[in-house]
Amino acid sequence: MSRLVVSAAAAFAPTAPVCEHTTGCITCGDVAIPMNVVRLDEARGLALCADDDGNSETVETDLVAPVAPGDRLLVHAGTAIARLNEEGPDEAR
Amino acid sequence: MKHVDEFRDPELGQALAGEILGLVEPGRHYKFMEVCGGHTHSIYKFGIDDLLPANVELVHGPGCPVCVIPMGRVDDAIALAHEDNVIFTCFGDMLRVPGSDGTLLDAKAEGADIRMVYSPLDALRIAKANPDRDVIFMAIGFETTAPSTALTLKRAKSEGVANFFCMCNHVTIVPPLRALLDSPDLRLDGFIGPGHVSTVVGVRPFEFIPAEYGKPISVAGFEPLDVLHAIHMILTQLKEGRCEVENQYARVVPYEGNPRALQIMSEVFELRPHFEWRGMGFISQSGLKLSKAYADLDAEIRYSVPGVRVADPKACQCGEVLKGVIKPWECKVFGSGCTPERPIGTCMVSSEGACAAYYNYGRFAREREVV
Repeated sequence: MSRLVVSAAAAFAPTAPVCEHTTGCITCGDVAIPMNVVRLDEARGLALCADDDGNSETVETDLVAPVAPGDRLLVHAGTAIARLNEEGPDEAR
Repeated sequence: MKHVDEFRDPELGQALAGEILGLVEPGRHYKFMEVCGGHTHSIYKFGIDDLLPANVELVHGPGCPVCVIPMGRVDDAIALAHEDNVIFTCFGDMLRVPGSDGTLLDAKAEGADIRMVYSPLDALRIAKANPDRDVIFMAIGFETTAPSTALTLKRAKSEGVANFFCMCNHVTIVPPLRALLDSPDLRLDGFIGPGHVSTVVGVRPFEFIPAEYGKPISVAGFEPLDVLHAIHMILTQLKEGRCEVENQYARVVPYEGNPRALQIMSEVFELRPHFEWRGMGFISQSGLKLSKAYADLDAEIRYSVPGVRVADPKACQCGEVLKGVIKPWECKVFGSGCTPERPIGTCMVSSEGACAAYYNYGRFAREREVV
């Protein structure tokens, strides 16, 4: 979402990257987005994850390990900070 | 979208708003603080304040990590960015925050190599791709973001990336909340607690709010029904004469937080004796710096920074906005001298800033009809 907006802005003004102010920035502040694990790089503790709009990024999974393809994670600043479970985290443990 | 759409149901929202109306006592004014900038954003994006009774007032807290960075730290960042052979990386919102003599974006226009990143991991990638240059990552954020920086610093060490450094501006949420609660300026009836900070620190750190200050708090998610539900929970506590920490965001937030994240943070960071907050001054043990074990990755040790305290612009009332003492539109320069395009204060810069949220979503109405 924000990544696309920034890319478009950069095309017109390459020296002036901006954050998307109407929808919020994915990585700044306390904003986190749900993403699905697509593929694992277990040796490096990383996973390729995709959001619901199809945007993908490499995500640190150390804080919620172990993860498997299909797991749904809450991602902030390139790091998965929580798992999204139907029953809630405490019940899931 | 799973975990999103079900928390945006308009009919459920109306039903919750109706129940909230039934919980408030006519003639009593309720003042709740949403601690987190993400909540401020949701409230204005989804028009949540318009669903509330007129005697339920929401005030904005200090939870936007960009807004609380003082001008002196921006000057320090610009000084680092101007060092020879340095690539300076930061999140996008920081680029437009004014220091005493311009922004990081201005420094970029003057020739400094400043690059926007989406994560600390992106900054580390830049370092690996540019082994002959020093890459500095400007770390900002509360406990939500600090583990991400910590993991990247650990990764840099374990992978032997010798040209990656961190200018650490991470802050912690409890000290400013204590400062607010001790402030005579503000009378609050309850708190909407920060959801994603709590995924890391858990719910326990907020127990002092009911225990020592007698205020209820509900840790909340960021969808509109989450925020309405949290307000409902706080009002229910007040009506029943209870005062405790409740967890509205239990589907994501464990009571004990994320022990792994806390362990990594304690390994990589240590508390600063004090840290300056915009508009709030110095607050003891409210900021993080790199621990001794990671001192070789500390940009402020590798390079010297001015470290000068700079007073906020006189016209700017960000401090009062951050403490919830005034509404954004009550600031003398809101929407005139200070706009998202030409911000004077940090609250107008970040998408999570209260002033930017007001400005972007057109919440200029100063009086609302009783629902």
